[in-house]
Amino acid sequence: MSYVGKNIPHDSAAGHAAGESVFLDDVPPMHGEVFVGIVGSPVARGRVQSLDLAAARNMPGVVGLYTHKDVPGSNRFGPVVHDEDLLVVDEAQFIGHPIVVIAAKSREVLAAARRAVRLEMEELDPVLSIERAITLEQFLSPLRKIERGDVDRALAAAPHSLEGVFDIGGQEHFYLESQIGIVVPGENRTFTVHSSTQHTSEVQALVAEVLGVPFNHVNCICKRMGGGFGGKETQAAQPAMLAALAAYHLNRPARFAYSKDDDMRFTGKRHPFKVFWRAGFDGDGSILAADFKLYSDGGCSTDLSMAVMERALLHADNAYFIPNFRATGRVCKTNLPSNTAFRGFGGPQGVAAIENLIEDVAVAAKIDALDVRQSNVYRAGHDETPYRQRVGNNTLPELFAKLRLDCSYDARRREIDRYNAHSRSHIKGLSLTAVKFGISFTRKALNQGNALVNIYTDGSVVVSTGATEMGQGVNTRLRQIAADELGVTYERVIVTATSTEKNNNTSPTAASSGTDLNGFAVIDACQTLRERLSEVARRLFAEHDPSGGDVATPLNDEPCGILFSQGSVSRSGSAGPGIAFTKLVQRAYEDRVDLGARGFYFTPDIGFDKETGEGSPFYYFTNGVACSEVLIDRFTGELRVSRVDLLMDIGESINPGIDRGQITGAFVQGMGWVTAEELKYSDKGVLLSYSPTTYKIPNISDLPDVFNVALLPNDACVQSIKRSKAVGEPPLLLGFSVFAAVKDALRSLAGQRVELALPATHERIALAIARIAVSNQPVATSASR
Amino acid sequence: MIESDGVSDAVPSSQLKDHLTIFVNGKRHMVRGLDAFRPLTDWLRYDLHLTGTKVVCAEGDCGSCTVMIGRGVDGRIAYAPVCGCIQYLLQLDGAHVVTIEGLKYAGGLNPVQQAFVECHGAQCGFCTPGFVVAVHSLLEPSSEAIDACAVKRSLTGNLCRCTGYEPILNAVEGVDRAAVQSVDALFPPETILEEMTAAAREGVLIAAGGRSFFKPVTIRQAVEFRAGNPGCAIIAGGTDLGVQMNKGMRTPMSILSTAALPDWQWLDVSNDAITFAGGVTLSVVQDVLREEIAECAEFLEWFGSPQIRNAGTLAGNLANASPIGDMLPPLMVLDAEIILTGATCERAVSINDFYTGYRQTVMRNDELITGVRVPRPAEGDVFRLYKVSKRKDLDISTFSAAVWMQMCGGQIIDCRLAYGGVGPTVVRLRKTEALLRGRPLDDETLDELQETVLSEITPISDVRGSDSYRNLLAVNVLRRLALEMASGDAGSSKPV
Ligand SMILES: Cc1cc2nc3c(=O)[nH]c(=O)nc-3n(C[C@H](O)[C@H](O)[C@H](O)COP(=O)(O)OP(=O)(O)OC[C@H]3O[C@@H](n4cnc5c(N)ncnc54)[C@H](O)[C@@H]3O)c2cc1C
Ligand code: FES
Ligand code: FES
Repeated sequence: MSYVGKNIPHDSAAGHAAGESVFLDDVPPMHGEVFVGIVGSPVARGRVQSLDLAAARNMPGVVGLYTHKDVPGSNRFGPVVHDEDLLVVDEAQFIGHPIVVIAAKSREVLAAARRAVRLEMEELDPVLSIERAITLEQFLSPLRKIERGDVDRALAAAPHSLEGVFDIGGQEHFYLESQIGIVVPGENRTFTVHSSTQHTSEVQALVAEVLGVPFNHVNCICKRMGGGFGGKETQAAQPAMLAALAAYHLNRPARFAYSKDDDMRFTGKRHPFKVFWRAGFDGDGSILAADFKLYSDGGCSTDLSMAVMERALLHADNAYFIPNFRATGRVCKTNLPSNTAFRGFGGPQGVAAIENLIEDVAVAAKIDALDVRQSNVYRAGHDETPYRQRVGNNTLPELFAKLRLDCSYDARRREIDRYNAHSRSHIKGLSLTAVKFGISFTRKALNQGNALVNIYTDGSVVVSTGATEMGQGVNTRLRQIAADELGVTYERVIVTATSTEKNNNTSPTAASSGTDLNGFAVIDACQTLRERLSEVARRLFAEHDPSGGDVATPLNDEPCGILFSQGSVSRSGSAGPGIAFTKLVQRAYEDRVDLGARGFYFTPDIGFDKETGEGSPFYYFTNGVACSEVLIDRFTGELRVSRVDLLMDIGESINPGIDRGQITGAFVQGMGWVTAEELKYSDKGVLLSYSPTTYKIPNISDLPDVFNVALLPNDACVQSIKRSKAVGEPPLLLGFSVFAAVKDALRSLAGQRVELALPATHERIALAIARIAVSNQPVATSASR
Repeated sequence: MIESDGVSDAVPSSQLKDHLTIFVNGKRHMVRGLDAFRPLTDWLRYDLHLTGTKVVCAEGDCGSCTVMIGRGVDGRIAYAPVCGCIQYLLQLDGAHVVTIEGLKYAGGLNPVQQAFVECHGAQCGFCTPGFVVAVHSLLEPSSEAIDACAVKRSLTGNLCRCTGYEPILNAVEGVDRAAVQSVDALFPPETILEEMTAAAREGVLIAAGGRSFFKPVTIRQAVEFRAGNPGCAIIAGGTDLGVQMNKGMRTPMSILSTAALPDWQWLDVSNDAITFAGGVTLSVVQDVLREEIAECAEFLEWFGSPQIRNAGTLAGNLANASPIGDMLPPLMVLDAEIILTGATCERAVSINDFYTGYRQTVMRNDELITGVRVPRPAEGDVFRLYKVSKRKDLDISTFSAAVWMQMCGGQIIDCRLAYGGVGPTVVRLRKTEALLRGRPLDDETLDELQETVLSEITPISDVRGSDSYRNLLAVNVLRRLALEMASGDAGSSKPV
């Protein structure tokens, strides 16, 4: 019997449903705890002219006020490049850039004190768009490039060519639990940091650096997050650092919790991109050359922008073999909060770039876009990516073919053509797009994980790794894996809070890799323990039954022929009853055998040279396809997703229920990104859509009327954990099929290619339809003046 | 902004309570002093340590804070899910608040919770308590079948960022409905109803820290207090005021509650009109109109969410005087009357004369909206409502429109058009109306009238949409209606 592969409820589900799971702000304040907040820059770029803290300082209940001068360690921070000031020194770089940190005895006093700070700024000219940054050549990074073949020549020689500019909007994470950190000072300048973070080790390091203490003085703990989506990969650190500053000076516990509004205004988002593209193709839709120039809006500092750009470049081929291919990328520096990781991590923007190109090429070539996709898909003989990695275990052609049939693509295409020819009130669109998502961090060092597995003398087991639980179910999967590996029941294992004291130098729980890296490390630790226990078992069996079977000969692949299953331990090949796992553990303890083990894993066979843009950055690919159908009101531009059929190859699922939830959740999040989730700023860089009142993530009523999710059977991904494939991010990229379907609908109305920026809001769609109407008829029906 | 004001001397404070009586999960609590001015969720989470109720947005837009609020109605307790984050304690005198903690059954998880566990309805879990409360309230014992559409409609007030909702729908479907108990079974009304009703009926005056709260029991007390306290805020459902207070846009020093006014939930359905008293919630309005003016009830489906409609009142929507208040355009084209009661007299004002400028009305300082009279459109009249927003559900209008037309032989005999979101107030398009009379509504008419329509509105560009989009919509809704009428289907926005 195996737990892996079973549909087991989320580890915390009962607590979640009962409202009993503890999130950080549910923890009652400790004795003496202070509430910490900031006064940040009111302007996107500016210098502090005067700062008057007297009124706030004199307020009863205000216990501390700090500026950059009070930072004991390094005020400059960043996950890779240290290029952001935690507290403004000279020039504020974004609205909300912290200038003053306030610690107060209550939330009410904190709020009043924030209002009482008098701050005057000299406003400087901010850079608020990619276009402006390009003009000023204000970049955060060197140029990155992936290239194969002679793109310019191929473009010139191609029978047909096309070019365009594609604007891709950012996205707010909208994790429900806003950023929060609680720091408890201990003796001898040690600190316990409770953080809602995807990356305990980074919070540990950054808090230590800002306080000027060694890393071993800081223990960062994360029990769970109320959602992360990448937003808590690096940017959980600021609340922790700011709380730590107060804890350091006051020697009192300190809590920093953003309100949702402040969190949305002051923290980074998915990177907006601007894509300049050119394509060369022949009459039957074969793409001979593609050239992409990608620019992203990195915000005010580097954060993870370089890696995000690299992943965008590595995904601009998506599922398609393009013989002559070039993608270059630059990260623009602007005066917005530093943009950061968000589920997909640049992949969605890269995939959007090429899927958008294909929609347009198909219109120009007068071929169904799906035919264009299928004729260019990676396939035998055409399976080398532009960065020279082969697409192994390539299920893409099969996915396309199967979904085309399963969702009756061709019949529906004809139906839709008929509908669009007749309907005067609505138009429909249909598109089937793909994802090929590379699994592994592009930064090689991050592809490692460690695990600690402790067995207690009652036979119960605690597992801990660097993986953090944000709802994705990593703890459940690790429990399943550990239970199987140790041959105990699922209930005997728990996965405890992530902490840097138990697991050091961990990687962020990101890049969909949480289960892969940490699960293999758990297996490694469990194997060590099983070997030790097998030794003891052999002794025990020999004592009880000296004439028994030859336990020294390993049978199957069980070490020493000892089988661990469902809480009992037996000799392989022997029919006799085994002994209870607990008994064995107790005996091992008596025999002074170590019942705790560390496991370690690093992903083999990967490597990528960023300078040359060549190598094998990914351990494997998770693939999928989705077909979306949309219905658009021709008068208002209102969009309804009427049907989605989704087919994923996620290998052999470790937990089908949890994986399905990852698929539906990611798809809907991707659908939100390409439709209604629009970030709107004033011309001064003030985020206007800073709360759910004005920033609209999908609602339950936005679910497609028909939503079919299916998995492609695939047991051939042998190198990955339990033959499963990572699932957290890839389905998000299929959300793009909704955008492509909108373009398809507009194409059918216009009879030609229609440029559309992402997201396809009702407004953008309506204005596009109005433009089409103007260009189609001499008599204007557009009402814009 | 602090609006300062003392308490009027006119109120005989001897007959008034100086505290609130609020029940939480069956237990009585007395709330005194400044605590009355706190949001429910702060009190639940920080004082009572009932942290299952989450706060995300603090503005009614996510549902994580959903709790059930029960009030004594006709000898029983009527419960409805509302957003706890924008309920202030001073609104809850005599109410019973049931939180996620209160929905646990003796044996452990309730069947809704069980289904959420089994169907993967929770991922990160932050939205889950709010969903469980909303679903539990939907599935309370009843033999009524609930289809998927009804489930979705009842959950539009709850956002989830993790699951993509599909697992949540599966969970709702998976609930063992026979095992769902009523809140009454969990908290027998016998033990609390009497005290609740008594507390709800009593007048309250709380003065603390320079702030005052008054809950009068007669209209006269109310309008006198209002007259004596020009800066006082009236609170009904609090779905506007609560947000403003949470976001620091308003900190009224004195607050007047309408909750205990007599006949405040009264309504009357007659042949020619439906009349609602000042305290009738939008949920009740929607229920009543479903039978009476179906188009309007359907339109209300896109007004906020169930949680918002359960708390928010019709009078509050009208008094709030927002140019994007959704009930204004329909009531304008139906020529509704607003009944204003003052210290000395009562008067009825046509809603078309009620608004004088951006958030300005003819309501005097000593008046309250005590009723709204909505005439019924006649058989055969065209009555169409449109709301365009960024997201279909739980969103504020980018643009809204109401059209009423009396037709004869394809010609417009009489008509009224009102648009929201195109200027500082909701706008009646009187010139367009005049030009439409005597003509059919068709493309030719509209080609001619387009400039007139545009001349009557002054939309701006803001976070919800650009002026050009609003201009486009102003003409296109009429074109759409013309198309629907041409194809003989003026009653829906279904594909034509
Ligand atoms: C999440 C959310 C979604 C919303 N969605 C919509 C929407 O889709 N469409 C829409 O139009 N609105 C929407 N609103 C706004 C709000 O719900 C409505 O305006 C509601 O009708 C207000 O009623 P209330 O009883 O809650 O008013 P309150 O907040 O209690 O009061 C609002 C104002 O009306 C005054 N007032 C209340 N009662 C009276 C009275 N009897 N006499 C005189 N003055 C009075 C008060 O002084 C106050 O200024 C939404 C609000 C939220 C929080
Ligand atoms: S916290 Fe979002 S609705 Fe109350
Ligand atoms: S489960 Fe995370 S928001 Fe719903």
